[in-house]
Amino acid sequence: MKRILWWSIVVLLCLGWSGLVFAEVKNPDTYIYLSISEPDTLDPHFAYDTASGEIINFVYENLIAYKGESVSEFVPRLATEVPSMENGLIKDDGKTYVFPIRKGVKFHNGNDLTPEDVEYSFERGLLFDPYAGPMWMLIEALFDYETLEDFVADKLGMSWADMFNEDGSLKDEGYAQKLIEFYNQYIDPAVEVEGDNVVFHLVRPFAPFLSILAQNSSWSAVLDKETSVAMGLWDGKAENWWKYHNLKKEESPLYQQAIGTGPFKLLEWDRTQQKVTLVRNEDYWGEKPKLAKVIIWGIDEWSTRRAMLEAGDADQIYTPTQYYDQVKGMPGVKVEEGARITITAMHFNWTVSKESKYLGSGQLDGEGIPPDFFSDVHVRKAFCYAFDYDTFIQEVLKGFGHRIPSVLPKGLLGYDESLPMYPFDLEKAKEEFQQAWGGQVWEKGFKLTLLYNTGNEARQTACEMLKENIESLNPKFKIEVQGVQWPTYLDAYKQGQLPAFVIGWLADYPDPHNFIFTYYHSNGVYGSSQGQAFKDFAKANLNPLIEEAIAETDPAARAEKYTEIQKIAYENALGIPFYQPEEIYAMRTWVKGWFLNPMRPGEVNYDSIWKEE
Amino acid sequence: MIFYVLRRLLFLPIALFGVSLLIFAMIGLLSPYQRLATFINSPERLKSENVDKLISQYGLDDPIFVQYLRWLKNVFQGNLGWSYVGKGPVFEVILERFPYTLELTIFSVIPIIFLGVSLGVISALHHNKLLDHVLRIFAVVGWSFPDFVFGLIILMVFYSTLGLFPPGNLSVWAETIVKSQAFRHITGMLTFDSLLNGRLDIFWDALRHLLGPVLTLTYVEFAFILRITRSSMLEVLQKDYVRTARAKGLEEKVVINKHARRNALIPVATVSGQTVVGLLAGTVIVETIFNRTGLGSFMALAAQQLDYASIMGGTLFFGFILILGNLCVDLSYAFIDPRVRLE
Repeated sequence: MKRILWWSIVVLLCLGWSGLVFAEVKNPDTYIYLSISEPDTLDPHFAYDTASGEIINFVYENLIAYKGESVSEFVPRLATEVPSMENGLIKDDGKTYVFPIRKGVKFHNGNDLTPEDVEYSFERGLLFDPYAGPMWMLIEALFDYETLEDFVADKLGMSWADMFNEDGSLKDEGYAQKLIEFYNQYIDPAVEVEGDNVVFHLVRPFAPFLSILAQNSSWSAVLDKETSVAMGLWDGKAENWWKYHNLKKEESPLYQQAIGTGPFKLLEWDRTQQKVTLVRNEDYWGEKPKLAKVIIWGIDEWSTRRAMLEAGDADQIYTPTQYYDQVKGMPGVKVEEGARITITAMHFNWTVSKESKYLGSGQLDGEGIPPDFFSDVHVRKAFCYAFDYDTFIQEVLKGFGHRIPSVLPKGLLGYDESLPMYPFDLEKAKEEFQQAWGGQVWEKGFKLTLLYNTGNEARQTACEMLKENIESLNPKFKIEVQGVQWPTYLDAYKQGQLPAFVIGWLADYPDPHNFIFTYYHSNGVYGSSQGQAFKDFAKANLNPLIEEAIAETDPAARAEKYTEIQKIAYENALGIPFYQPEEIYAMRTWVKGWFLNPMRPGEVNYDSIWKEE
Repeated sequence: MIFYVLRRLLFLPIALFGVSLLIFAMIGLLSPYQRLATFINSPERLKSENVDKLISQYGLDDPIFVQYLRWLKNVFQGNLGWSYVGKGPVFEVILERFPYTLELTIFSVIPIIFLGVSLGVISALHHNKLLDHVLRIFAVVGWSFPDFVFGLIILMVFYSTLGLFPPGNLSVWAETIVKSQAFRHITGMLTFDSLLNGRLDIFWDALRHLLGPVLTLTYVEFAFILRITRSSMLEVLQKDYVRTARAKGLEEKVVINKHARRNALIPVATVSGQTVVGLLAGTVIVETIFNRTGLGSFMALAAQQLDYASIMGGTLFFGFILILGNLCVDLSYAFIDPRVRLE
């Protein structure tokens, strides 16, 4: 018996070691990147997450691309020139954009790229417009609406639900003609082929338009019309276009297939292993990638990712900053630093729904807060003064982050470090609290709940620091900190129940509008969750400015408008802009040519990177 | 006997119905917005009124019993729904992933039983002597070790520094071969498939990737078998027939192996059966740490994301396995021990 045991152990060890290869660079022409999760879909017009965008970005191509690490300079990609006022390809004061289309480009199945493919791709996306998908960006840019259904409803005078049955069929055949006319009158003329060019017609100048088109924006990727129609996507005709509108994710034929013109071809999406494999496109029109194969593999468990990097079985892994100490100094591994365009802030609800379970007693009696507690500017200012910004960034973020004057992150137009910011000053916080609600807050005290979405320790600590500081001012001040799961957050958000909440935003496109509108406009995602009183305030003071800024084509004049908006935000203490985080990227030392573009979904430039010790 | 089996099998759909009702009732406690989180997973998607439109598109705002009936109708048509976590029809996803869990269970159960029984017997024979104490402490430590701690230790010590026991299913080179047209997939279990394809190198590679999780599960689970074997063996050693065997001058080896151990193994067989069934449904953490694509890690993910089609489908499947597994255990019990044979 004992002998068998010993032999088993010996065999086990041999087995284990037999695979250990002492090569210099493991898998030299394959890049293995370990991320978390996996793509949501490979349909460029549905995808709206970085994991999907990461794949689409290297399989499909857009008309233009960002230049290297820049987010404001562009280089041509499938177009041969980047339109500008100077070269005359932006016309009509910024309402017409002309893109000359490159010749000699082939799709992965051998078809040639034509201007018609470009026109088809954009129109398909606009008509498809899946709920909660990314197409609103192009719809806003081209037509100044938020969704295709809003657009249709406004032009035809009847809502989507008025025209369609639950099963998607028309309630009345007569509506078909109206819908066909809608396509012919609005969608078709917006993107047109003129000779070798594709021309976009906007209803008004829209400053970030080129950013919305640039490579990395999956919603502006170019499909092959012939293949797409054969697969069962929109057939390119005005008749019945509505049958291709808002399909469910899995109903799209492009859900798990991808044929583009990009430097890599999709070999396989292994859904069981959360693993996507790309191979080099040997017929690529541009400079061919040095890597023959790319594996993007979702491994949610940090220790597993870490171990694989250490063993050299992975070339780069997704590394949250809290694990910095674990990768720093690991043999054969280097750590790069960088920042994406994202911020984290706390915002207040000026009119919380009365049903909210986060208000305590619902009155200013020391056991709760009234629903309109935060509509008093003194309360908001007191909160702003009570946060120890610098200590937080140094101690909690370990220096991987910096302060921001408003919700506008560094790197975007209008960002200005010299704008006023609230200092950490408990004396001033005390003064503000004493003035709040005519002195009642100070006298009676309050009790409320601060929420953050769980899974983010930094946000939790930020809330706890704020709690400690405010409670230290007056023994009658009581704050609870509560983490909510994303589903619960979604729930409370829709029902207006969040009194004060911490949440972040990651740029859809690198333009101030994407942040300023989101937080400060009464229709913004977070603006709309700050209560009726805030919405009224925004409509009177912020909305007009935000709308003027987006239609302004002169960058200097735009920047001034954003400065003005940020000053209003400061004076009225609209929120506490906590920080703009920085990120770390852990990779093997044999990785060469890596760089970061903050707008690139995913962390790796697979098309220009290589491995060499 | 046959009637007994039939009766138990008839009971199966009723039990599954109860399970599904229970789960659905619990999911009904969540608001439609909470359930929508499967479809909208980042703040960037919260644009305009799309959220409410999505809820009605997926019928999340219907009364919960309407949703249950709709689900039940689909189940009878053989459709368990769409898994948002698994990115495919639920049934397909389960079938795709189950072989990995089954394979891990098969490979773990062998050392668990082998070690548990052999060390249990040794322990009983050295009752209250040093070896007994050492073995019992060794076993209790394993039994008290959470599997995620031991799994992580294996990963950090053996894989990161020594290059042993890699996580995952296969190495990159082996996976390329397995994914190729020439490789036939028969059982869905990589070790068996590679043998059937005559690819010893891939068998080796698959086995190497299995070692980490197998070692973890073995150390964490074998103690139970050891304890049962030990106490059962101690009891049997006191029996008259053992004394008789010794009295008639049989060799000690024969007494232990033929007379004592065989009888001592009857309760062990039951417990082993339960261990197998338990492993099939209980490899969540080990699969996650070692990045194995089994059913356990899938269910953990589905639960996190409130993907209720997957949760329902997975639960039904586990219910099915558990009931069937327990039936097999009961039947084998009757087979091993003639005294409890059913009529």
